Amino acid sequence: MHSTENEEGEPAIRYLRLTIAILFGRFVGWLSRLGGHGGSSLPGKLALRWHPHLLQELRQRAVHGTVLVTGTNGKTTTTAMARSILTRHAWSVINNHNGANLIAGLATAFMGQGRILGRADLALLEVDEATMPRASAELKPRMIVVTNVFRDQLDRYGELSTTLRFIQRAVEDMAEDGQLVLNADDPQVAYLGRDRPHVVYFGMEVDGNVGSDPGRTAYDASDSTRCPRCGHPLEYFTRFYAHLGHYRCGACGHERPQPTIRVAQDKAGTITLMGDFGWVPIDMPIPGLYNLYNLAAAAALTLTLGVHVDLVPAAIVSMVPAFGRMESIVAENGTVLRLALVKNPVGFNQVLDTMVQSPEGNHALVVINDRYADGRDVSWLWDVNFESELLQQKIGRWWVSGIRAWDMAVRLKYAGIEPSKIVVLASAKAALDAALAESRDCTLYVMPTYTALLEVRDLLTRRGLVKHFREG
Amino acid sequence: MESALRIGHLYPGQMNLYGDRGNVLTLLRRLKWRGLDVEVVPIEVGAEVDWDRISLVFMGGGEDSHQVLIADDFRARADQLLKRFENGLPMLAICGAYQLLGKEYVTTNQTILPGVGYFDVRTEPGAERKIGDVVCQVEGLDLSLATLVGFENHGGVTYLGPDATPLARVSTGSGNNGVDGSEGVVRNHVVGTYLHGSLLPKNPHLADRLISWALRYAEIQDAFMADLNDEWEYRAHQAMLSRQSERHR
Ligand SMILES: [Zn+2]
Repeated sequence: MHSTENEEGEPAIRYLRLTIAILFGRFVGWLSRLGGHGGSSLPGKLALRWHPHLLQELRQRAVHGTVLVTGTNGKTTTTAMARSILTRHAWSVINNHNGANLIAGLATAFMGQGRILGRADLALLEVDEATMPRASAELKPRMIVVTNVFRDQLDRYGELSTTLRFIQRAVEDMAEDGQLVLNADDPQVAYLGRDRPHVVYFGMEVDGNVGSDPGRTAYDASDSTRCPRCGHPLEYFTRFYAHLGHYRCGACGHERPQPTIRVAQDKAGTITLMGDFGWVPIDMPIPGLYNLYNLAAAAALTLTLGVHVDLVPAAIVSMVPAFGRMESIVAENGTVLRLALVKNPVGFNQVLDTMVQSPEGNHALVVINDRYADGRDVSWLWDVNFESELLQQKIGRWWVSGIRAWDMAVRLKYAGIEPSKIVVLASAKAALDAALAESRDCTLYVMPTYTALLEVRDLLTRRGLVKHFREG
Repeated sequence: MESALRIGHLYPGQMNLYGDRGNVLTLLRRLKWRGLDVEVVPIEVGAEVDWDRISLVFMGGGEDSHQVLIADDFRARADQLLKRFENGLPMLAICGAYQLLGKEYVTTNQTILPGVGYFDVRTEPGAERKIGDVVCQVEGLDLSLATLVGFENHGGVTYLGPDATPLARVSTGSGNNGVDGSEGVVRNHVVGTYLHGSLLPKNPHLADRLISWALRYAEIQDAFMADLNDEWEYRAHQAMLSRQSERHR
């Protein structure tokens, strides 16, 4: 492994080389933004070419070290929540809040703001699962947070076990006394904490209807319900969605670790954060059961860093939803839009469950692209539970668009949704215009894949509905 | 009351990668739209099955670790299945299921796993994973439309023996092995293929072929083969074909 100490040359020359790499990267990033192109990974990409082990040098910038947040779903929102809490704790944070979570995006976050080689209290980075081994080896994080592992973009990573191996390698590469923050309700994720000295588990307790469709049994999108220790099928006492819940193995006795940070929701929908500090009520600004996990993860992350729990409620209620994560936007005609990125069956199911929870009927616009960043394979749409009865009752109208619009339309048709309720428009602009015009009395849920989200965001920006935002 | 037609879905828990369940949903809907009473029978490891009451079989692909879990169970069922294949029981076998219907399957660590030997094919680890869109021309069957479209994602490569009839010839993608241009295999009414996507929703002509075989096997009259409005399905099919012609331009 290439290390700072072995780097050729005198300290002054190394410093100069680093400074030039950063200045060069930043300058090109600035030019790129000036030219109207996204710039969130470009500076890092160029600086890394000049200085391949840039991250090893830059990690010193974070006085209290680096925290990496990974997992299939919830990285971005967990990071946004934790950042909001840390800001109230008066910590300055280096953060890739634009969601650029590959190596170049991480480098850009470190190079991004403030004085060249200036310092911050903490680096808080969401990291793509496949990037975890390198990120961990170079940044030597003080803490790794794992939200969950579902099937996601399998055409990139192969299989679920591959994703887990990436994270396992990263865990092995972190500092000896490194802290793990793990989801106790995800059997595979919780198992990463075996034999580790410093682990904090978080989990969920929900009373009453959790929104999951009772009809979703044999064809559940769940795929890791076997005991991580012995391979026997797990027994679930409570199952919130997919393979997340309270479980135990009947064969070897392995069970869900007792979480120290818990988020509970009672029958009335009241949300409480609980731990050895007692409990505090939380007012959630964004809907969705999955966001309760993000809250639990963000609380576990920050409380373990020494933040006082009293800071959490105000930080959460005032947090701004991350890019395309249940962002609420009001259109000119008063239509309320909820913008929710969809990228895998579990996440899509969660958005659908949230959509049918509201008492009034809603409309839906789905935009499916299959560019590299979306995942080239759209077959996962067949693992989404569009068959849900509630969905058929509550969604008055569907608009479908994107490169793979017809695949999506066929999916809805085979779910038993009346074709007369489905409008297919190839152009995302035409689809958005039509959907907005006809959704005055209800909420329009806009569900795009990643590159489609950028397109939709751009269309909304041009309408003056959202602030200008650039993404690489 | 028992349904008129029952689809046996082998190992939906273990063998369901890349939207393979979409194939079953497609068969189910297309039969229901034609007014037929139909039911899916999920068959997991160890389950008792009365094969005489199954008229169509589906099995998908799985992660290597899952494939190992079901392989013994599948081999134990082979006798029951293979003799019915000779009587015209139709089956669609995707990816891992296709490999298991072959003679043998060599894993990445060179372990040789025996298949059930219905197809004269042999699968070994490929140099790199074959991932991407597939467009192919059907050869082994006479379908109303000669193209199939799908998405492949497999580590193993499959070579055909002298007794195997390829299902199709690829014009985009790798197919069986990326060398001889063949894709899948067909024998009697059993179709093995690497195409996910899901395959049947975008290829209703293949779905209907499987359905008509199943109706014949179940001795249900062909009146149920009424035409459906497949405009959307063929739009999705066509979208993949036009993408191919753009690529070749
Ligand atoms: Zn066990």
